[in-house]
Amino acid sequence: MSLPLHVSDLQVSTPGGRVLLTCTQFQAAPGEVIGLRGPSGAGKSTFLFALAGLHAAMTGHIRWGDTDLAQLSDGARAAFRRNHIGLIFQDFLLFEELSALGNASLATSFNPASKRRSIINTAERFLKSLNVPAEARTVDSFSGGERQRTAIARALAHDPAIILADEPTASLDRKTADGLIEDLIGLTRAQKKTLVAVSHDPHLLERMDRVIDVEDGRLQMEAAGV
Amino acid sequence: MSEALTDLWQSLSPLAQDILWLALLLLPALATGLIVTWGFRPGALAGALLWRFRWTNLTFIALIAISIGIGVGLIAQERGLRKGTARAAEKFDLIVAAPGSEITMMFAAVYLQPSDVPLLGGDIYNEIATHADVDLAAPIAFGDSYLSSPVVGTTPQFVTHLAGELAEGRMFTASGEAVAGSRVELQIGETFEPAHGMGDSAEEDAHAGHALKIVGRMPPTGSPWDRAILVPVESVWEVHGLTNGHSPDHKTRIGPPFDADYFPGTPAILVHANELWANYALRSEFTRDDTMAFFPGAVLAQLHSLMGDIRQIMSVMAVLTQVLVTAGVLTGLIALARLFARRLALLRALGAPGRFVFAVVWTYAATLIVLGAAAGLGAGWIAVDVISSIVTSRTDILVTATLDWPEFHLIAGFVSLTMLLALLPAFMAMSRNIITDLRA
Repeated sequence: MSLPLHVSDLQVSTPGGRVLLTCTQFQAAPGEVIGLRGPSGAGKSTFLFALAGLHAAMTGHIRWGDTDLAQLSDGARAAFRRNHIGLIFQDFLLFEELSALGNASLATSFNPASKRRSIINTAERFLKSLNVPAEARTVDSFSGGERQRTAIARALAHDPAIILADEPTASLDRKTADGLIEDLIGLTRAQKKTLVAVSHDPHLLERMDRVIDVEDGRLQMEAAGV
Repeated sequence: MSEALTDLWQSLSPLAQDILWLALLLLPALATGLIVTWGFRPGALAGALLWRFRWTNLTFIALIAISIGIGVGLIAQERGLRKGTARAAEKFDLIVAAPGSEITMMFAAVYLQPSDVPLLGGDIYNEIATHADVDLAAPIAFGDSYLSSPVVGTTPQFVTHLAGELAEGRMFTASGEAVAGSRVELQIGETFEPAHGMGDSAEEDAHAGHALKIVGRMPPTGSPWDRAILVPVESVWEVHGLTNGHSPDHKTRIGPPFDADYFPGTPAILVHANELWANYALRSEFTRDDTMAFFPGAVLAQLHSLMGDIRQIMSVMAVLTQVLVTAGVLTGLIALARLFARRLALLRALGAPGRFVFAVVWTYAATLIVLGAAAGLGAGWIAVDVISSIVTSRTDILVTATLDWPEFHLIAGFVSLTMLLALLPAFMAMSRNIITDLRA
């Protein structure tokens, strides 16, 4: 499914009303691979979470295709994420007590029965292609690289059109990070997904189609559309 | 409509009523579970949370189990005690004594907790014993003891009425012989000297020189009489230096008939009528100025009905205690939920509906409650056994309490109520801010 992104007049605030981020205009084509870069606290992750519809207090528009996330209810945003977005986090956020497949196919717990089989099959396929140990042991014995690969398989298991990644290599050593970058970029491009990744890692950012700087709650290069 | 339902309910067997009642009590829990988890599969994640905090969870389960175990144990015990006291009294159809307190006399004559009471004379005894409706009239002369065993003077007919065939040995046939209760430590052939009175106030040497010999032993009766030593009432009178109920011509006789002129008196007379209805007539007849007649069973029923109110209060208190413990546990869960708030926020971020997070937390809490209730059932079983043996050894009344339908109903009600309470931590977990928790 092809979902171009069009953000306009976006303002994200804290529940208390303090403005965290503004963005008058931002666009991304389907299948684009985009990096978000900037100092800590600049608003990169806020923008990323806004693109996922996770912020409660948002005004303006975040259009993925015909769907304006900013205008949807919490439940409808969750449904959109469930169908179209895969998320990857810096510290993996896995359930330590589950196996790699249990984590990668987590979405079967809350998706309708008709989708469960395809989620499990896809999760198994990605775990295999990412060389994640397939045995039944729980992920608490996994290395950092294996954990993040499990998280990537989880993000892709429901075949979303969009991958949003928050510092995916920050918790990994250089060698593991480089291997993961290959896998993430390779899979994203092969599957024609749109990827937006927040990162400080130049090795990851140099593989992007374009990189947006975020400073003081604003996207710096958005007008140029680089 | 309601009348038809009542009729339908009454037409069911007690077992069917109990099962149906159990199902009705569990219905809210089942309905809540179905509604909360409909369309989801929260089991694996709830299992993960249970395993992650297993020691804390075990503590929660143990707390619920202990509170349930003690609650149902006590309630079952109260019922067992009622049955035990009733069983101990069932051989005592009608007691005739001097006017006074029926309860005091019942405790003295049936449960062998003696009190100083006035005596009935030989005329009254003979009037009862020769009554056309009376099958058995036995004096029950308590007041002496040997160590912790009451020594009770009576007749051979009463011993047979109370315990049936002797377990070993033979019936006493002469003054100076005795039949021991099943739990008396004296062996057949051993002799003892009774003390005057019971317990700490007993005068050990009051009857020195009057040795009594055990010649037989009764089978267990499950009553305080298992601890008693039964002797001919003639022996009791003789050791007190009184005439022995018979004229000098028949002074070696044991048992009735007694001569009123030589009858020193008895604190109580057990009466067994030859027909059931005759008991009522006899009670009326001997309820008069100089005698008091009562059914120990009826006095006991009055006491039990008084205890019935206490039982209801106990049941309410038991449920209340269990609910309070569970409320404490659920409060603990709310605190614990903060520890896994990040994982729950992750689920929301991945697109799980809020209701799914609600279902995971509720399933987690419900599992603790069900496991706690199941373990509580086991704890109750053990508690009932332990308390029964303590009560039996302290009162000499055989208490064989077991968990029964009222306890199962209590636990089912508890499970349903607390599963509804578990909606609260689930709701609180669902209402948290996703971004705040993700970044925690």
